[in-house]
Amino acid sequence: MEQIEPFADGFVLALAPEFVLVIGLFTLMIVPNMGDAKFRIPLTQIRVPWLLGGKRGKLDSDPRLPGLFATVFFTIAFGLTALSFVNGMIKTQIVTANGTTMLQIDEFSRMFELIFFGALALASAASVNRLPATSRADRSLNGLYNNRRQVDFYILLITTGLGMAVVALAQDLFMLFIGLELASFSTYVLVSFMKESKEGTEAGMKYFIVGSVASGVGLYGLSLLYLWSGSLQFTDLSIAFAENGMEALPLIALGMLLVGFGFKVSAAPFHFAAPDAYAGATAPVAGVLATASKAMGVLGLLRLLLVVASPEATDGSAVWLVALGVLSVITMTWGNLAALGSTNPKRMLAYSSVAHAGYMLAAITAIGALNWEDGHVDMSNDAALVVVTALIFHLTVLVCFKLGAFLVLSLLESENGGHTLESLGGLAKRDPFLAVAMFIFMMSLAGVPPLSGFVSKLLVIMGIVKVALLDVTVNSDLVFADIHWVWYLALLMVINSAISVFYYLRVGLVMYFHEPEEGREGALPKGAPVRFAIIACLITTIYFGVGAGQLIALCESAANALVGAW
Amino acid sequence: MTTDWISLPLVALPLVSSIAILAFVAYASPAARERMGPSVRMATLIFSLLMLALTTAMFFGIEFIGGTSDWASLSFGSFNYEFRYVWIESLGIHWSVGMDALSFPMVWLTTFLLPVTIVATWNEKNAAVYFPLVLMMGGALIGVFVALDLFMFYVFWELTLIPMFFLILKWGGYDRKYASQKFFIYTFAASVIMLLGLVTVYFLQPEDLSYAGAWTGRTFDIPTLTAHAQVANANGAWFLGESLQKILFVMLMIGFLVKLPSVPFHTWLPDAHVQAPTGGSMLLAGVMLKMGAYGMFRLPLAFFPHAAEHFQFWLLALGMVSLVWGAIVCLGQTNLKKMVAYSSVSHMGVILIGIATMQPLGWAAALFMMFAHGIISPMLFAVCGAFKHHYHSMEIGAMRGMAKHSPWLATSMMFGWMASLGLPLLAGFVAELMMFLALWHFIAAEGWSVLWMVGPALVLALTAAYYLWSMQRTIFEGGEETQPPESLKGQPVPDISDAEKLAMVIMAAFTILFGVMPWIALDMMNGWTVAFFETLLIPILTGGA
Repeated sequence: MEQIEPFADGFVLALAPEFVLVIGLFTLMIVPNMGDAKFRIPLTQIRVPWLLGGKRGKLDSDPRLPGLFATVFFTIAFGLTALSFVNGMIKTQIVTANGTTMLQIDEFSRMFELIFFGALALASAASVNRLPATSRADRSLNGLYNNRRQVDFYILLITTGLGMAVVALAQDLFMLFIGLELASFSTYVLVSFMKESKEGTEAGMKYFIVGSVASGVGLYGLSLLYLWSGSLQFTDLSIAFAENGMEALPLIALGMLLVGFGFKVSAAPFHFAAPDAYAGATAPVAGVLATASKAMGVLGLLRLLLVVASPEATDGSAVWLVALGVLSVITMTWGNLAALGSTNPKRMLAYSSVAHAGYMLAAITAIGALNWEDGHVDMSNDAALVVVTALIFHLTVLVCFKLGAFLVLSLLESENGGHTLESLGGLAKRDPFLAVAMFIFMMSLAGVPPLSGFVSKLLVIMGIVKVALLDVTVNSDLVFADIHWVWYLALLMVINSAISVFYYLRVGLVMYFHEPEEGREGALPKGAPVRFAIIACLITTIYFGVGAGQLIALCESAANALVGAW
Repeated sequence: MTTDWISLPLVALPLVSSIAILAFVAYASPAARERMGPSVRMATLIFSLLMLALTTAMFFGIEFIGGTSDWASLSFGSFNYEFRYVWIESLGIHWSVGMDALSFPMVWLTTFLLPVTIVATWNEKNAAVYFPLVLMMGGALIGVFVALDLFMFYVFWELTLIPMFFLILKWGGYDRKYASQKFFIYTFAASVIMLLGLVTVYFLQPEDLSYAGAWTGRTFDIPTLTAHAQVANANGAWFLGESLQKILFVMLMIGFLVKLPSVPFHTWLPDAHVQAPTGGSMLLAGVMLKMGAYGMFRLPLAFFPHAAEHFQFWLLALGMVSLVWGAIVCLGQTNLKKMVAYSSVSHMGVILIGIATMQPLGWAAALFMMFAHGIISPMLFAVCGAFKHHYHSMEIGAMRGMAKHSPWLATSMMFGWMASLGLPLLAGFVAELMMFLALWHFIAAEGWSVLWMVGPALVLALTAAYYLWSMQRTIFEGGEETQPPESLKGQPVPDISDAEKLAMVIMAAFTILFGVMPWIALDMMNGWTVAFFETLLIPILTGGA
């Protein structure tokens, strides 16, 4: 593993995708402000063109410009991240002069960055035509702001991306927290960005209050951990945990950190703000919350539970096993039952996202079921590997179909629909392509083969079952009670996904069966970037289902980087 | 020349062509879609006829195709046209297909029903979308039958839901929304339970089996698993242990019993049938229900014969209840299609009883019933569809004296009804007779009470009763002053169209063919069940325990 000090040789190259985003941030600040302003050198009459400010040109005041810029930069960052996989990942650590590891670049962190940048690129492409732009003829004060608001929006998207990237790379709980907060604060504002609507403001407020309380509790847990071990490095913490992790102080701290991340993945009972936030935010932002933001929470949980408080720290199973198991059951059941009753498609998707959080928590629970080093050395970590691979795969394909579903709603939102299920009525007649896409996204969410949602659900179930069966020896004396109880989590998961078909199918029924609402008979708005993003989501949803092999291999290498490091 | 790939186009041709047509049609304007209808219909008919030609050639054995045409002596565990291609290497998932005497009759039946369905519903509205969906349905069904990989099996198993869901939703009756939803949720819920069972089996197998995944070391390959289970089950030992085998058997059976369907999981079927369009009903009753019985033979019976013996009583009881309950409910129906749907439930009970007897004769009866019912029940639904189409009503009392007004429809109905109630020399009779013999044999051997025969005997009478009674009320009653249905509003009473006549004649001809010469299909089924019994059950019995 290479080690680089900050701003030493190779630092910028190692963090190229992140620096691209920083460049994007500055570009977005500067380019839309360029005008014909001149700077007069004091005491003279010489005016030097200064470019910043003044009357702006037609191009750089175009309301679509910031969106296109953000999309391009996210795409470049995505491409560079993907490129780093090509000839074998060069694992790199960013270490300060006194030996503190700050960031680590490996397959695991890069894979999560792919998820983040991919989701954000799609969301920013989808938002290009979304924000209301004042017309050029408008001479009022608003005219001055013609693309200022868009700039704010995309700057926030880019800082979200940067914060998420830091979370992915962090090797220190403090760094992780900084990244988490950077991303969180940006999303708080993004949720309430539509200040014209009451729902948006309310959603942002709720999301902010609940989120900051969760962050505060998490931060308190963090400080307790520091008090206990004197370090926030993952490596130091995991050693300390292995020695005396059963003391009260670290357990309390762990519980508090769970609250912080539980909010991010919208696990019950910390999920109450999520449906309001999703419903109030614009659909692309809600899509980011449901995919990238959730992936960030899962990433934090994986780091915390598997690296810091890893199962081998204690005898038998991990300390958090039962707590997390109960949490996962409550989360998936609550999410599904609540989704059954919601008539707002965005709320429905929010609750379905809660249910998916439950499935992922169930998978993480399974990893904690056994002490991998005690008597399982020969099968080493391969069962945990299956689960982590399943999780990463799930989070990756979630970007395809969950974000895709939100993007379809986004097109409906531009004609003031998307808030009721009925506004989807007759979509099959109005726009057959969108209806087919939405139906495929819904089927993928429900886990119908051969779509990627099925493969991800299958992998999660396989991971859980594999762990549950690891301790049994197969012979004719095998009894059912020998199987570890995490098997029941898989059973609850399949029962829950059977329940979930009902509300996913309902969307299809409304699109194909109901007549369009009055005033919605015509064609939908064009919006080439959104449609392009939807097509990208659709193709990947199908491709990662039919040809899942390559993505599984990629996720496996990522999981190996995390699990192999134990 | 190796021609193992020949089974690939059977699955790929209908799926790829139908998706391509649908994608093409989706971009057309409604008017253009209307214009495309006839050519799309002709294209799907040609595709389905090509498939029928291929499977028929497979049956007779044509040198070019390779493989063996001697299906009956294909030993257990070996497959014709076996073909494997790595799909997802890390998990051991293969695109692996092959046919034996269990699956081949079902594959041939599917390819036979496709063109018949297309012809029978020749004038269906929105043809440019309808016919590709029918074709896609056929492809998915064939995929289920030829799959030799658990993953692939499950993928096609679920894939059949989607075209059927749309067939019911877009072309169904007044309550199609409820019916399509219920159909989807019932079968999906059952099959995810089955999926968990399959995954559990996957991880309980030893690591050194062939076709295993590079990463998990386990295999999804059905023949490999079957062979392994067969070894592990021998000499009284239980593959995977007693309690686990029972639980896994139940988990898999839930998936298949709902699909079959057996009482008490049957309620989706009448709803789906009544609301489905004729073509949907024909494929649903003809092939889709048989997926359940086929799956039972392929997986739970082959993997867990001990558990099957353990639950033998319950299977028999479920079959008996389905048989009797279906027939009793039929008597009370006023809706023609609902009556036929419940008669399907009753016939599926026959299949379940045949399976539950756990002997070659009963299994052969079940297999032949699957095949015979697959030809007869589409005819029943085609009759119902024609009835509905021409008289705009499905009520049994709505049309009287049909023999006078619409002789073709009356004849077809009479023929279908007779075939379904088990008239000798027609295909259904052979299966029912075999089932009776098997059940007698079983009861005598086990020393069970003769009262077990009361149910099936009663059902013979009940079946005759509801069919004859409904015929009397539709075909004959009315005499000189026949009563055309009010729903026609005084228009002249039409007879069925030429296309419908053609479809009826074809189905009737094959019903007679397989009734008079059942050995065409029965030989291979018999061979397969005997081999199945000798390979899987004899070692268990000889081991004692």
